[in-house]
Amino acid sequence: MEDRLAALERRSISIIREAKAQFKNLAVLWSTGKDSTASLWLCKKAFFGKVPFPVIHIDTGYKFPEIYEFRDKIADEWGLDLIVAKNREALEAGMSPEKGKLKCCTTLKTDVLKNLIKKEGFDALILAIRRDEHGIRAKERYFSPRDEEFRWRYTDQPAEMWDLYVKPSEDFSHMRVHPILHWTELDVWEYVKRENLPVNPLYFARNGKRYRSLGCMPCTVPIPSNAGTIDEIIEELKTTKIPERAGRAQDKERAYMMQKLRSLGYM
Amino acid sequence: MRRESLIILALDALDFSMVKRYDCKSLMQLEYGETDISEFKLARTVVLWASFLTGKNMEAEIPVETQWKFRLKPEETFFHFFNSYNAIDVPAFSLKDESHAEERRLLKAYFEDEAAVEEYDEVVWRNHEENKRDFFAAMGKYDLVMGYFNLADAIGHLSFGIPEKMETVYLELERIAHEVKSSVDDFILIVSDHGMRPVGRYGDHSKKGFYSANMRIGLNLPKITSFYDLIRRRA
Repeated sequence: MEDRLAALERRSISIIREAKAQFKNLAVLWSTGKDSTASLWLCKKAFFGKVPFPVIHIDTGYKFPEIYEFRDKIADEWGLDLIVAKNREALEAGMSPEKGKLKCCTTLKTDVLKNLIKKEGFDALILAIRRDEHGIRAKERYFSPRDEEFRWRYTDQPAEMWDLYVKPSEDFSHMRVHPILHWTELDVWEYVKRENLPVNPLYFARNGKRYRSLGCMPCTVPIPSNAGTIDEIIEELKTTKIPERAGRAQDKERAYMMQKLRSLGYM
Repeated sequence: MRRESLIILALDALDFSMVKRYDCKSLMQLEYGETDISEFKLARTVVLWASFLTGKNMEAEIPVETQWKFRLKPEETFFHFFNSYNAIDVPAFSLKDESHAEERRLLKAYFEDEAAVEEYDEVVWRNHEENKRDFFAAMGKYDLVMGYFNLADAIGHLSFGIPEKMETVYLELERIAHEVKSSVDDFILIVSDHGMRPVGRYGDHSKKGFYSANMRIGLNLPKITSFYDLIRRRA
C-alpha cells in the first residue's frame, strides 16, 4: 500500500503539473523556509530534476543572514532561475516595522509581489501554504483565483471534485496554486527527512531555542526547544501542544472571533 | 424663539451593563434601559441602524456582502420629516466609506498577523475624533443632528476583555454625552444598535442594546424599530 508521504507527494506533484499545463506564465514563491523548500523540491521532482519556471524570492531586507546564505547556496546547487525582488526605494527611505507592521509588510512584501506580477505578467503563482498552519488558511483551495488587490475571488472558486482543478471562466488577475495545502507541519518534516532535503539551520535549537517558522528578523521570535536534529523536531511536533505560530494563548477565541466578524461582514 | 431640536447620539455597541459598570451618569439619562433585538438573526450593524432609521426590520433587504455600500434614500427614513438635518457617518445612510474600510482592512490584517492591535486602535480613535469634530460643529444648526460613533464597537471587538481600554472608551462616550447635555436643552436620544459580550479578550455583538432619553418616553424593553414613530412625532 502507498504510504502517507507518497500519497501526499503524488497529489502535490499532480497539482504542480496541472498548473504548468493550464497557465502560460507560472512562477513559484520561495521564502527558503521548510514549506516552500519542500514545495520547490516537489516542483523539481514533478519535472524530472529541473524547476521549469522562475523562482521568486521576496527580499524584505530584514531577513536573517542564514536565509540569504541558504537561498544562494540552494539556487546554485539546484540551478534555479531565481528572481530576487526587493523594494530598494522604500528601504532607503527608512521603511521598517517601527513604521507599523502592516505598513512594512505591505510595502516590502505585498507591493513588491504586485509589481513583479505586473512586470513579468505571471498568471499563476505556486505558494506553500498549508491548511493546518492558520485559521484563515483552513478554507483555502488548491487553485485559488485572486484579483489585482490579491483578494480571494471565492465567488469564482471552481469546485475541486475528483481532483479536477479547473480554471474559472471569469476574468481574474492571477491564480494562486497551493500544492501542499493538505500537508501538516509534521508531514513536511517527515518528508524533509525522507527526501534528505536541505534545511535552514535556524530551525535547529541553539541555547534552548529554535525558530519554528521563519520570517523577518524584527518580527519573528524563537520558541523554547532543545530539538537539534530533524528526528528531534519530529519527536517534538508529535508531542507539542504549542501551535506552529506560537505565542497565541487565545487561539480558540481568536478563531471564533475571526469567524464571527466574517459572518457579520467585517472581513 | 428657537424651535426645540432633536439630537440623536448613535453609539455602536454601547452596552447596558458597561454603562452601569463605569457609572456613566450622562449616558444614563432620565429614562434609560435595554433594547431587545432578538428578532434579528445576526446583530449586524448596518441592518440594525437601517431598521432604526426606517422603523422596519431590514435584515432581509441588506445582503452581508454589500452591506457597507447600502444606502437608504432620505424619503425612506425619518430624516425626511425634518426641515433640516445632519447625519454624521450614519450606517446605511451617510457612512464614511473610506474610514470604515480602513478599519476593516486593519482588522483583517490583525487576524492575519500583519497588524498590531495598537495600529488598529489608532485608526479607530482617529476616525472617532473626526466624527466628534463634525458632530459638535453641526449641533444647534439643524432640527435633527444624528452623530454616529463606533468607538465601543470597534475597540471592543479586539479588546472588550481588557478593562483599562474599555474604561477609556466608556469615559470618552460619557464625556461626549455630558458635553451635549450641558450645551443644549433639546431632546436627546442615545441609542445603541446592540450590546457586547466578552469572548476572552475579544468582544462579540450581543442581542441587547441600550437607549436613554432626557425626558420620559415610556418605553419598556423597546425594539430598535420602536423609536421611529417617536422621532417622527418630534419633527
